[in-house]
Order: sequence, then structure tokens, then C-alpha cells
Amino acid sequence: MLNLRDVTHVYPNGTRALDRVTLSIPRGMYGLLGPNGAGKSTLMRAIATLQTPTEGTIRFGEIDVIAEPEKLRRKLGYLPQDFGVYPRVSAYDMLDHMAVLKGVASPADRKTTVETLLHQTNLWNVRKKLLSGFSGGMRQRFGIAQALIGNPELIIVDEPTAGLDPEERNRFLNLLAEIGESVVVILSTHIVEDVSDLCPRMAVLADGRVQLEGAPQELIHSTHGRIWMKVIDRGELACYREQYELLSTRLFAGRTVVHILSDRDPGNGFTAVDAGLEDVYFSTLVQSRRAA
Amino acid sequence: MFAKIARFECRYQLRNPLMWVTAAATFALFFVSMSVDGFELGSEGGLLENAAYATLRNYLMVSVFFIFATTSFVANVVIRDDETGFGPIVRSTRITKFEYLIGRFLGAFAIAGLCMLLVPLAIWLGSLMPWADPTTLGPNRLIDHLYGYFLLALPNILISSAVFFALATITRSMMATYLGVIGFVSGFFILQNAFGDRPQLETVVAVADPFGARALSDATRYWTVAERNVTLPDFTGALLYNRLLWIGISVVCLALAYAAYRFADQGTSKRERKKQKLAQRLSEETAVTGNGATSLPSPQHGHAALRALLWMRTRFEIQQVVLSPAFAVLMAWGLFVTFFVLITQRDPDGRPTYPTTLSMIPELEDAFSVIPLIIAIYYAGELVWRERDRRVHELVDAAPMPNWAYVVSKTLAMGLVLMATLLTTVVASVIVQLSLGYPDLELGKYLLWYVLPRTWDMLLLAALAVFVQAISPHKAVGWGIMMLFLIWQQLNTAIDHNLLNYGGTPDMPLSDLNGAGSFWKGAWTFRTYWGAFAILLLVAAHLLWRRGTEIRLKPRLARARRRLAGAPGWVAGAALLIFIATGAYAYYNTNILNEYRTRNASNDDAAEFEKRFWKYHDLPQPTIADVTLDIALYPEERRAVTKGRCRLRNLTARPITNIHVRLLDRDLELTSSTIAGTRLILNDAKYDYRIYRLDRPMQPGEERVLTFETRRRHRGFRNGSPNTRLVENGTFLSNEELMPVIGMNRAGTLQDRAMRRRYGLPEELPRPKLEDVSAAAKPCIGEGWTKADITVSTMANQTPIAPGRKVSDVRRGGRRIARFISEAPILIFFSVQSARYAEKHRRHAGVDLAVYYHPAHAWNVDRMLDALVASLDYYQAKFGPYPFDHVRIVEFPGYRRFAQAFAGTIPYSETYGFISDYQEPETIDHVTGVTAHELAHQYWAHQVVGADMEGEGMLSETLAQYSALMVVKKLRGEDQIRRYLQFELDRYLEGRANASADEPPLARVENQSYITHHKGALAMYLLQKRLGEDAINRALRNLLHRYKFQGAPYPRSLDFIAALRAEAKTSEEQALITDLFERITLYDLKVSQPTAVRRADGRWDVTVPVEAKKLDVHGRGAETETPLAERIEIGLFTAEPGRDVFDTSNVVLMERHPIRSGRQVLKFVTDRKPTYAGVDPYNFYIDRNSADNVLPVS
Repeated sequence: MLNLRDVTHVYPNGTRALDRVTLSIPRGMYGLLGPNGAGKSTLMRAIATLQTPTEGTIRFGEIDVIAEPEKLRRKLGYLPQDFGVYPRVSAYDMLDHMAVLKGVASPADRKTTVETLLHQTNLWNVRKKLLSGFSGGMRQRFGIAQALIGNPELIIVDEPTAGLDPEERNRFLNLLAEIGESVVVILSTHIVEDVSDLCPRMAVLADGRVQLEGAPQELIHSTHGRIWMKVIDRGELACYREQYELLSTRLFAGRTVVHILSDRDPGNGFTAVDAGLEDVYFSTLVQSRRAA
Repeated sequence: MFAKIARFECRYQLRNPLMWVTAAATFALFFVSMSVDGFELGSEGGLLENAAYATLRNYLMVSVFFIFATTSFVANVVIRDDETGFGPIVRSTRITKFEYLIGRFLGAFAIAGLCMLLVPLAIWLGSLMPWADPTTLGPNRLIDHLYGYFLLALPNILISSAVFFALATITRSMMATYLGVIGFVSGFFILQNAFGDRPQLETVVAVADPFGARALSDATRYWTVAERNVTLPDFTGALLYNRLLWIGISVVCLALAYAAYRFADQGTSKRERKKQKLAQRLSEETAVTGNGATSLPSPQHGHAALRALLWMRTRFEIQQVVLSPAFAVLMAWGLFVTFFVLITQRDPDGRPTYPTTLSMIPELEDAFSVIPLIIAIYYAGELVWRERDRRVHELVDAAPMPNWAYVVSKTLAMGLVLMATLLTTVVASVIVQLSLGYPDLELGKYLLWYVLPRTWDMLLLAALAVFVQAISPHKAVGWGIMMLFLIWQQLNTAIDHNLLNYGGTPDMPLSDLNGAGSFWKGAWTFRTYWGAFAILLLVAAHLLWRRGTEIRLKPRLARARRRLAGAPGWVAGAALLIFIATGAYAYYNTNILNEYRTRNASNDDAAEFEKRFWKYHDLPQPTIADVTLDIALYPEERRAVTKGRCRLRNLTARPITNIHVRLLDRDLELTSSTIAGTRLILNDAKYDYRIYRLDRPMQPGEERVLTFETRRRHRGFRNGSPNTRLVENGTFLSNEELMPVIGMNRAGTLQDRAMRRRYGLPEELPRPKLEDVSAAAKPCIGEGWTKADITVSTMANQTPIAPGRKVSDVRRGGRRIARFISEAPILIFFSVQSARYAEKHRRHAGVDLAVYYHPAHAWNVDRMLDALVASLDYYQAKFGPYPFDHVRIVEFPGYRRFAQAFAGTIPYSETYGFISDYQEPETIDHVTGVTAHELAHQYWAHQVVGADMEGEGMLSETLAQYSALMVVKKLRGEDQIRRYLQFELDRYLEGRANASADEPPLARVENQSYITHHKGALAMYLLQKRLGEDAINRALRNLLHRYKFQGAPYPRSLDFIAALRAEAKTSEEQALITDLFERITLYDLKVSQPTAVRRADGRWDVTVPVEAKKLDVHGRGAETETPLAERIEIGLFTAEPGRDVFDTSNVVLMERHPIRSGRQVLKFVTDRKPTYAGVDPYNFYIDRNSADNVLPVS
């Protein structure tokens, strides 16, 4: 459905934010995972017609996105990573305004759209409040509401769960899952659970390049038996860092749990664990770092 | 630590774009004002550009403008940490509150002080520029700048920074701080105007003025140009106290700010708490599970949807502007100023007028000029950058809104907002009209002549600003560019063709008589022309619009060409066509139908003309002995044809070989001229100068006949100000606009002294000295006495008027034709008028008194007729018979503002008297005064005309002033005269302070009205007080008897002074005549602490200490004290003279007592207790401080 071929973007300061990104994204939820600065937002903006990439083509169905951004915009719902609001405008009015911008012209259609979305995103009770008074989670819900106006065929949500509390995040992901059945939804995030919970397909982006692409289950399966863990004292961490290439470290009950990637049993008290998507993600990052 | 913080703050502020804009503007302003000619800031009326006084004024002015910048600097100091959320981090370091607050304040203050240092730098550099005119520059004196910088500017910056720093610290809000600034400035203006003109509060006002401007102007009031150029006022008195008081207030403000600032963490802000509450409320709802997203309506992208989108966007943009707090502040300020100006400033000379729509429009334009400018430029920046500033651009730009919708909706919104603000001021104006009881609302005129043109002009500016913002890398840069553009446009003297000057249009003068005439055509042609250009700019802005996250210009330029295809291309093409077509049409009008002349070209020509022809000025030339004119006016076509026949007579004692015939008006064309027995030996078409060689010289007494035909036609429109003399309704042409003049004279030469210097001409054309008896051969007006037979024809519905007895007045062939024959000799100094007039006649003493007026301007017609009756009675009784059978007061359009006397005819501007409002009985009756003055000219100019030499102005203007003053005295009583005298005194002292040339005594005055009119009135009044009215009138009668309608030699001022001396009986009176007319004498009379003590017998012992001084002034302004020994009035009153309630019953005592130089104490015993005592209480003497002549008695 959405095809990217050799999409490259170089910023004026020489930063190569995207390096020959080639992706084919089908209908349904698609997770784009990557650390901060991996080029996710640049890629999202390029797809959302906000930034013309220096090279490459982007096609959505029949639409050449770079040549005819106007056509894509008619089918697009976009939730930027970070956005502000106009002052002195209520949630209802702003949603109404966005509806007109998206071509929902007749007052009756607009009313239906706005009211449905306000209910759907649970903003109905605060619809008359000024957006500038909204907390981060409420603002994010408004963002998703506006992205859904006019039945978009391509929905891009960039880091949608950053700043949401767990409950809000849950509700938000539910909403996305509901929509994601019939259209293309690209979920860009650095939170592994978002992807593992929702997306039948995913890609990992790091240093502007696609490092990994596939279905999460298959990817997890491919690392099966290669992930090993050990619980160590915090003081030992530096020593382990030198000895092994650590995939991840986290604290548990005051001690440190380290994961490493190894085809064979590394011994030294490491035990095998079932790999999660997180281990896949981190091992990809480690490999990309190694390659660099 | 403290110093480090201040230094950090300095460095921080150096990155503030506003600081750079302020600095650049300050530098540019002064650099240009110093070096470019014709652009003056603090200097005025002949002062050197870098005169001491001008320098001080510059520092004051710039420090007042600095308020806005310094406020932003210092308010930023306390507000930015809270805005960025960085505050808690900074405040948790070891820095103390004092270091944090005061260190930063000082850093910001230092930056403002540094910006101010650009003033001396710019002045110094500007004065060194090779293109600067050295004659308008004096030496740069360091001391002026030290005085201005340290005593005026720096304290002013400190004051504004400290006050608004305190406000910002207390309110923690930028908007509140700016509101405070506006309140501060407007409060200052209100107080100034409410109390500024009360002499008893003078010192209080001077000390209370936060900027010290009042103290400075009080300290230098009535200083002459010579003094202002080099003298600095003493730093004492009000000026010193003012500075001390305000520095004290600044320190208090800083202390307040320090005390009010809580350094400890402020806790969560109100906004934060509100957010939490809202979120909590939301989480209390039960979460509804979604019901699928499939049921939403689908979008359309047809025309209806686009219309809805455009409308929505426009409305939204309007809301964003109108609801923003800054807009409310701007509008409040604009309306405040508008109301203020409309209510108080409509009558600057104490001459209130009826609030006619056309008199309100210029006031509105004036009062509400800056606010629309700010709105256009400021909000253009806001609109272009709004999405980006609010970080909603990713939402909006990714929506399927077409690209054009940005520029179109934003420009539409700008236009509607601007129009609404202008309409608001119309409402304000109408409210003022109604509240003044003026019911005649002409809303159409407001709309056509104010709202539409102003909206259009502001939209042009907004379009430019939108374009500039579209290519600027930052909003502040765009604003800065627009500011520089505005400044450049103000200063620009090089480009004055409207085709090259963005938004430039010819003037569209307005008048009740003539409406907008045909002047709107030129104005709107250029508006269309620039409108088309603005559309091109907007198309360019559209093509370069920042959509998405790309903000660099280059990629957008690359993209622009692709975007041009389609509608933008068509719009641009159409706009380009209109631009070219209207440009060509405008060029045809301004440069082909009319002659295009730059300002410099006019001056070049005048200078060249003088160099070529001035040499002929004392050739003997014949005089027009009689003239027959047939003038056909076609006002609807703005055309006139004059056929004339002049009998020329050699009145000189020498034979004449050449006759010089020339035109003074470039719009006049001499289509034929012949003098029998001559041949044309010079025909200079450029300067319209012809010399005819007589085949046989004209002997003394011999006559020749000149026949000629002239045409004038005003076709199309010009680039500059349109000709307003021959118009559709209200034509007013003088003789030189209809016929040639004989011989070379001063007319048509350059007058401005600086300009003359630039062309290497002497500062002024030499005027014959008073002692040069031979100069008495020429009159100062016209060429000698003439008889006239003038036929004027015009449109059938207009009334033609020319000098002379009307012998016929018929309508024939759709035209109205009237013939006028002079019954007494007149001067070739007359006017012809034609308009649709109402007439009011009154027959008095055998004379037909008539007023020809615009039917809507009937208010003061009777007052004029009453004044004519009173004046005629006085003049006929005291001076001699009135020579004509008519007096005609004829209204003319308010394009110019004066009244003038021609033989039997008084053209009177509609804005000068006809719309004066005398419903308030206290108003000084200038209409009566002016009418009496102009009628007096029927004696003093049109019967006795002075010789063309020094002192000429005294024989016409001074005598007319005296005559009018006597009429007013007779009508109003002597006790009311003080207000008139005070008016004259103030005008004289202000005039001499601003005069560029040396001040002559009255006997040698030329045409400086501050001397002829204002000093003349004072001198003559005092003299008639001392010699007696009858003695003066006797002298005048003798003068009239001797010179009435006589040819050469024409009288000199000395002849009148001799007539006065013949009436003076004592040596004291002779000395007074010398002081008043042959010298410049100033007095300094004052009382100090007069007291009244009750005696045992119930009467009162009154002690009046008097200090007196008399000064002789020499032309350059140097003063020497001379001994005073004159008998001067001492007055004791029960009310203050000159006040509303004052009349004869308030006079307890009025006696003349000998007053010497120095201090003396006078004692009186009175029956009533006086509350006021004064020396020279009615201001008969010229005294620069007349306020201390009368003081309350304690």
C-alpha cells in the first residue's frame, strides 16, 4: 500500500537523517521502532508531505507523494510527535476547524464528525474548555481525534504514547487497534511494548537506515535461544561491560539484570531466557552499532 | 558574582533581536537626520541640525521612544525564567536574590544605555558625511552630548526601566507590563494636557513630567535661535528637582521590585493547577469504549468545501487578531488618542470649529495614523508565522487545505480587521460630533474619503509585510525590515515619483465646497497601480509559503516555479497587466499631460531663473495704468481663458527701451501677446520670460498697449499635490494666475535661506534699506494704481466675483457673465472667484456688505456682517471714507487656511472662520478680529501702499492689526483685551524664538508676521494707551490724507513714525516711540509676594514689591540691560485678570507708577481687600515671563 524506495534525507548541516530507506507497508498497524535521533520523525514528516526528502520516492497506492502532496493530504491523518495549539480556542472549535481544513464542509457532517470523535476520545466533557489548558494526555487525545477526521486511509502517529500515563496509553492503543484494521497506520515509537502489543508488522530504524523489518513474532523466534541473562551486583557492572557486549541492563530489587546475545552458552552463571521483542530490538541496535 | 551576572545579562540581551532593531533604528534615525537634508528631528525653524537645543531634544525624544524597548529588556529579565521553566533551576543555585534581580536589571539597563550611545555616534558620523550640508551644521560639542546623555537620556532610561521592571516583577506578565507602559504614557499625556497650560502649576507640571521634557522646554522657552544653537540650560530649578525626584522614584521602584520578588520556588503555577483539575475531572468519567471509526462522514474537496474553508479560515484569523490582548491594547490606545485629539486638539490656536465631517477626517487621519500601521505590520508577522509560532503547523500543513488558502485568508482577514478598526474610529468621530450637538452626519464621506483609502493603503503595507515575512528567516527580521522600510520612506527625498515609491499616491485634498473634486482620480489610479503590485507580492508570498518543515528560502524558491502553474500564474498575469496598464495611464497623466518636476527640479529652476533674470529687477518698466480683462472660467473642465488689454504708462523719469513680460505661474500659458511698435528680442519658453524691444523708446508719460491671451488647463492628474486653484466648485485665482506681470521682481525666486545657500545665492535678495529714498519709487504690492474693467463668465449655477462695482450680471448661452468696473484705483493684486454660493447682504452707510458662502456654512455669516458694520463705522469715523460701494467676503475651499484682502473683496477660507464655533462665549472672537483686520486693509494697503523696502510690513499689517484691535476694544471693552494681548505676546515671543533670520525692529520689518502682526499689535496698543487713541488716529488720518491713491514716492515706515512723533508731547513718549519701533526692547516685570494687611479703620494696607528690568536686543539675540524709568500700571484686583470671570468690577485699583530698574516696594491703601496684585497686569509690555506679572495677595 505505502511504498518507500531509497528515501534519503540530508539536512543542510550535513546530517544524513535518512539513508536509502526502502519499506513496503501494508494495510494494518505498522510499528516503526527506533531510538531517539534514529530519523523516525524525519521519515514520518516525509510521508506526511511536510518535508520533501532529498532523494527517493514515496508512493501511496496510486499517489506519488512527492509530486502530488495535495492528493495524499486528502487521505492522510497525522499526529505529529509534538504539536501546539492556538490560544483561546476550545477543543470543539479546533476540531471543527480541522474538519473544515480536511474538507468536511457541510455543518451537519462536521457536527457528526466532531461529536463522534469527541466521544471516541473521551473529550466530550471538556469540549468547551480551551485547548491551551489541556494536560499532555488530553492534548494527545485531541491529536488522535483530529487525525481521524474524514476517514483517512493513511494514519501516521509519531511517538503517540510519550507522556501518557499507563491507563491513558492503554485506552489510546485500544483506539488505534480498532481503526488499524482497515487502513494503513504507522506507529512510530521508541517504546517496544507499543509495537509488540499492537503491530503485526514492524521495522527498526537506526542511524537513518532500516535495520530490521518483519513480523514481531518471527523476529522473536529468530533470536530464540541466543539470549542469556544474569543477575549481578551493581559494582560488577563495569567489569561485565568490558567482558561482554550487553544488550540491556535493568535494575531489579536493587541488583542488576543483564542480557547478552550469544549463539552458545557463555557460561559464567548466565542462564538462557525466552527472548522478547525488546531483546530483538536491542540486539539489532547492537549490531547496527557494531557495523558503524 | 554580581558583576558576572550583569555581564551575562548583557551578553544575553545582545542576542535579543529587538535590541538590534532598536539599535539599528536609533543609529539610522540620527545618522540620516544629521546628514540628509530636509529631514530634521530635534532642530526646527532654522536651528542647526546639531544645535545644543536640538541635541537635547533628540536625547529626550529618543529616550521616550526607548520606553518600549527598555521595558522589553528589563521585563524579560524576570519573566523569561518562568516562561522557559528554567527558573527553579537558576534559583536553586547559590546565587542570592540581590545578585539575581539587581545584577540582571543592571545588565539589561546597561544594554539600553549602550544603545543610547549610538545617538552621539550617529550624530557625529552623520555630520561628517560628505553629502551633509555644512551650513546647517555647527561644531559638534562634547558638552551638549554629556549634558543630554547623562542628565536627560540616561535618567529617563533608568526611570522607565525601573518603573516597568517593578511592574513586571510584581505582575509576572509581559502583557500587564505593556498595559502599564500604555497607561503610564497616556496618563502622562492626560495630565500634561489637563494641567499643562495653567501657569500657576507650571513648576509642578515641569517637576512631575517623568521625562523632563516640560522642564527643558520651560527653561528654554522664548530662547532665540542664536541662543538655542549654542546654549545649554542651567541645570537648576525645575530641571534639577525633576531629575532628583524621578531618580528617587526609580530607586523606590527597584526596592519595591526587590521586596515583592519571592525568590523561593513559586510552587505550581495557577495554570498548572488548572490543568491538573481538568485532567482529574476527565478521568472521573467512565471511559467509553470506542465504537469503531467507520461511521464518520467523508470529506469533499469541491467548490463548496473550499468556500467554507476560506470563510472559516478568514473568520478564524480575524478572531486570532481581534481577540489577542495586544490588539485590545492597541485599539484602546488608538481610540484613546483619537478621542483625545478629536475633543481637545481640533482648535490648536484656541479657535474651536464645528465638527464638520471634513474637518474631522484630517484629524482622524492624524490621530489614528500609527495604530493601523502597527496593526498592518505587526499582525502581518503574526499571521504569517502563527502556525509555526504556535507549533500547529504540522497539523495544519498536513491537512488538505490548498496552498492559496493561507495567503488569501490571511490577507482578507487583515483587510477586514483594518477596515473594522478604521470604522471604529469613525464611530468615535460620530460620537464626538453628536456629543457636540452637531447633527449632520455624513457617513458616506467618512467611508469614501477616509475608511476606504486608508484601508487600501494599510493593506498595501500589509501585503508588503506578508511578502517580507514570507522570505525572512525570522519574524523579528521581517518586522525589522518593515521598520527600516518605513523609516526609509519617511526620509526618502530621492524618489518622489509615485510610480517608484511603493504605495505612493498624489494628495486628495478635501473641502466641503468641492468635496474630493476630481482629485480622487489620481489617488485611485495610483492605488490601483500599487494594489496590482501588492497582488504580485502576495502571489510571490504564496509561491514561497513555508508549508511543512522546510524554512530555508532556497528550496522554496526552487519549488516556487512549479507552484506558479495554474491559478497563481493567471492571477499574477492579470495583476501584472493591471500594473502595467495603470502605470502607463498614470505616467501619461503625470509626465505627459502634466509636467513632472521633482522637488529639486523646482528649486533648480527657481535658482536658475534668479541667476538669469534678477539682473533686470531695477530696470525702469512701465506701469499698468488700466486693464480690461475677459475671463472665461470653465470650472467643470478646470480650464480658463483670459483675454486682456493693458494700457502701459511710463511713470518713471527715464525713457524705457525694453518691456519685460513674464508669467509667474507655470500652469499659465501665454498664447498670444503683442505690443504695437515692438519686436520680441527674447522669448525664454522655459521661464516664460519675454523681452520686447521698443522701436522707439517710451518717453516718461508715454503709453503703449499690451494685448494678450492666456490659458490654463488642469488635465488629468499630477504626481505631486494637485493644483487647487481652479476647481469644480470654489475657484480662487489671483491676478498672476490669469495674466502676465511686467518687469522682474522678487516673485518666483527662492525664499528658503538654506536652499539659497545651497545654490550659491545670497541668503536673501537685498531689499532696499530704509534710508534709500530712491526705493520709495516702487510700491510693495503690485506696480501702481490701476483702473480695472473685468468681465468674468462661468458655469450658469456659479457666482462669478471680481473686484469692482458690478455693472452687469446676466445668464447667456448657459453661462453666467458678470462685469465689474473699479470705481476707485486698485492695485494689480486681485482675485477672481467662482462657486455655487449662498449670499447674504446688508446695506450699511451706503455700502453693500455681502458674504458669499457655502450654503452649509451659515454659522458665522452674521458675525462677519456685524464685524463689517462695526469696523466700517470706526474706520469711516476715525480714518476717512471707505472708497468702494461694496465689501464682499467670499468663501473659498479649505485647501488653504487664511483670509486675504483685495480691493473691496475678502477671500476667506472655509476652515478659517466659516466653521468657527462660538457657542462657548469665552472663545476669543477671531472671526471678528480677522474681519476687522481685512477690512482695515481697505485703508492700509488698498489706499495707502508702502514702498517696496524695509518697513513695508508695518504700513499694512501693523496698521491693520491696530485698527482691528481698536474695533475689538470698542465691541468688547478694555478689560477683556488682556486675552487678545496675551495671545499676540505669546505669538511674538514664539515667533522670534523660532525665526531663522535676525530680528529687525518694527520700522525695518519686511514680512515676518510675528513682528508685523503680533509685535505690531502690542506696540500700537501700548502707544495708544500712552498717547491716546485719538492722537494715533490723527496720525493715521494724516498719513491717509497724504498718500491715499498716490503714486511714487510711496510712504516708508519712517513717514508714519514721523506722524506719530508729531503727536507725542513729552520726551518720555518720544523715547517710547523709539523703543517700540526703532529698537527691540524687552521688559522683565514681576511682583513678588504682595501682601494685604487690614488696618484699624477696616481698610487695607497693600504692599506690592516689584522687580523690573529693561533689555535692549540686537538682531543676533544679544541682550544688554538699559535703565528703566517708565510709569507703568500697577493693578489690584479681586479676580485674576484674563480669567473667565474677570470684569471691571474686579478692579480695585489701576494706577501708573514710576518703575525703575531693580527692586522697589509700592504701598497702597484700599477699601476692598485685593486678592491679586500685579505690575503691568494687562501685558502692555513685552515680557518673556508674563505669568509673574500678577500674583495672588497673601
